[in-house]
Amino acid sequence: MNGRITEENRKQREIQYKNFVSLTGMTERQMEDLAAERFAGAWSELTASQKRGRLLSDQFLRSYGRSPEAKGEYQLVGWRSLFMPTEIMYAMGIMPLTVEMTAAQLAMMGLAVGRLETAEGNGYVQDICSFIKTGGGAVIEDILPSPDILLTSTHICDPSAKFAMYAAHKYNRPEFVLDIPYSVWSYGPDEEGKKRYEDAVSYVADQLGDMVRFISSETGAVFDEAKLIETIELANEARKWFLLGYKFLLEEPGAVQGSKDMDYAVNLMQTWGTEQIVDVYKSRYDELRAAAKKKSAAGEKPKVRWAHLRPYYANTLIDYIEEKADIIGSHVNYIYWDEMDARDPFRELARKTVLTPTYCQVGTRSSLILQAMNKGEGLIAFYPKSCRHYHSSARMEQETFKKNGIPMLILDSDCIDNRGDDFLIQKTRIDRFLKSLEQGQMRV
Amino acid sequence: MKYQMMKRGRRKVLKATIGWFCSYTPTELFEAAGCAAYGIREDSGKAHEDVYLGDSICSYVRSCMGGALGGSYDFLDGVVVAHSCECMRRLYDGWLFKQNDIKPECIHLLDVPRVCNEKSIAFFSQSLRHLKDKIELRYGKITDDALRASIVRHNRTRALLSRLFELRKRDNPPVTGVEALKIIQRSTTEPRDEFNRDLESLLASWESDSRASNSARPRVMVYGGIGNPRLHEAVEDAGGIVVFEDACTGVRHFYGMADTEGDPIHALAARYLSKPPCPRMLGEHANRGLSDAVQIIKDYRIQGIVYYAVKFCTNLQMGMLQYKEMIGGHAPVKMIEGEISGEVNEREIASFIKKIGRRSAA
Repeated sequence: MNGRITEENRKQREIQYKNFVSLTGMTERQMEDLAAERFAGAWSELTASQKRGRLLSDQFLRSYGRSPEAKGEYQLVGWRSLFMPTEIMYAMGIMPLTVEMTAAQLAMMGLAVGRLETAEGNGYVQDICSFIKTGGGAVIEDILPSPDILLTSTHICDPSAKFAMYAAHKYNRPEFVLDIPYSVWSYGPDEEGKKRYEDAVSYVADQLGDMVRFISSETGAVFDEAKLIETIELANEARKWFLLGYKFLLEEPGAVQGSKDMDYAVNLMQTWGTEQIVDVYKSRYDELRAAAKKKSAAGEKPKVRWAHLRPYYANTLIDYIEEKADIIGSHVNYIYWDEMDARDPFRELARKTVLTPTYCQVGTRSSLILQAMNKGEGLIAFYPKSCRHYHSSARMEQETFKKNGIPMLILDSDCIDNRGDDFLIQKTRIDRFLKSLEQGQMRV
Repeated sequence: MKYQMMKRGRRKVLKATIGWFCSYTPTELFEAAGCAAYGIREDSGKAHEDVYLGDSICSYVRSCMGGALGGSYDFLDGVVVAHSCECMRRLYDGWLFKQNDIKPECIHLLDVPRVCNEKSIAFFSQSLRHLKDKIELRYGKITDDALRASIVRHNRTRALLSRLFELRKRDNPPVTGVEALKIIQRSTTEPRDEFNRDLESLLASWESDSRASNSARPRVMVYGGIGNPRLHEAVEDAGGIVVFEDACTGVRHFYGMADTEGDPIHALAARYLSKPPCPRMLGEHANRGLSDAVQIIKDYRIQGIVYYAVKFCTNLQMGMLQYKEMIGGHAPVKMIEGEISGEVNEREIASFIKKIGRRSAA
């Protein structure tokens, strides 16, 4: 371990935990009691989403050294950007902390706006990604467990990578940047395209090797290839179960609330490579099958798919949509990668990493979405205005889908920041969209 | 109009004119193929008129897209878009999507790594080879000798612009910031040999002028991206003088030579990735860029820095805090948000110039 960092983190995480607890309005004792209560029940008795919740809570509290299951233990924490693969981190005993996921959690707890205001009062401009701005406010208020290391990929979000650079400076911690080639999906199926794809995979695989050496030298964490193979096998197993559920849900839409299923957000999630997530996805599959048997034979509702994420603050939008339509799938639950060959771990992880489908040209992304959609379905794109990557592609996508007979509704609101939320305006547009879907019309 | 006339004149000797946007685009490849390189700047006249990419995109990209749709770049044969940031990647998408309505063909999207090390240079070399193949398909073979000759001509431009910047270290620089900026901008659009010849002669006269004089004008560095020419005017109208631009239309455009020996593609990849970093860059190289700013402040005796973040440029917006924390102790930093053209907040700038003037007088 790095003595200086460990020493600083030990002290600082105590303060950070207190700062975090004070935000919730609870005392430390109350928080401990609540955690103990949440962790009291047997794992096997929990629902899939409860298991997922417990896993994520445990990871979060463990990062402060406050998990009921590992109280007082020092945990190596790696702040990771949203698309950085986690398998290597688990293999080396590094607990991931994803700032965007933490921001979503704060929004669900009604604690995001305060952090946004803190960030804005300290130099963050208004139109920056609200996930990152919430993280920025949290750093300024010093409520997150400080990192031992930062692992950043250059995928998709410029603010995410720049935030990590700033956090590394602020905490004086080492940062590894994994450079990801852009739009690998667009390389083409010919020999040249195949070669470029393999070159991109080699480039990232080599960097993953460098990352392992960097983590070892900066934190003292030991790399054991057998352990990495094990985490990849766990990730494969989890993938298998999630995919079974995903396919089942396509055949049995409405078996569960689509918005709840969206919260798995598997292609962003920091749990790939853990033992628990295998069980979470298996439980989800079992629950889906059980729910389908009980599903009422009520009238069919329009089927929509969801692009990007949902609003995480308390809102009426999602419930309103689900009253009138079935959300049958979402981009964030798209398993785009093949099962990995654990015997070639770096290369296989690199394949998974470079193929992140949202990190590609609009035309390519639209084609991938079109391939997954069926006639009669609609697409709701919840694109925050502060997200350059998605918001700027909305009009092109809408025209493309329209040409292909897929109605698309763009809701340009925000996932975290509810200060500009205007449900009534959205409601009018949703009504019109769902009506046109029911009538098979294209006017959106 | 001037450039359109120039373009017609050049038709006789050049195969085509290829537009480029980002300072990470190795224009050596265009010129080695017998084409002219034309740097698309802030002057399409359509800064706020494109609605195609939405209003969360920076005004530079909106200007480029609006300009393309409005015919401002009809004199070009094609463009190469560098994947430098979120906004630029959408410019490529938008251009491609509306290709039927836009005259210049979108030739290529050039992927540019965001870190600078041996592996990224090797990967960028592959990207450049791919771009070279695309250019060769249209404009014929690019030989290594032609590419080396093009590198030599580009290096000549870089050396001349470096000499220009040396002159700006003087107590009373022979060129104002406004003039220097115009020269840099000319270097992105004019025929290279002609530009090199003109600048050589200008430099000769400035360098031989050894009159020693002091200027009390506060010395300012501009940090930013593509920038807004009005910013220089505002600083200098307020009594300051811009002596350095850490910007795409500044040191990032010309600093650092490409190797003329060995594999020219690798030399280009190494030169472009290791040049002074744009805020898009990450990792050690990006941090080194911030550290280098401290030396620049000393060398140019900078008294104040105007950090000009183009609205919706995430990299500049997100870089503000770290910049201020790392650099603010060496010179006062004024953060200003704005567009790539049109008015800037003159009152804020004037007040900053006054403040740093008072500070240096004390």
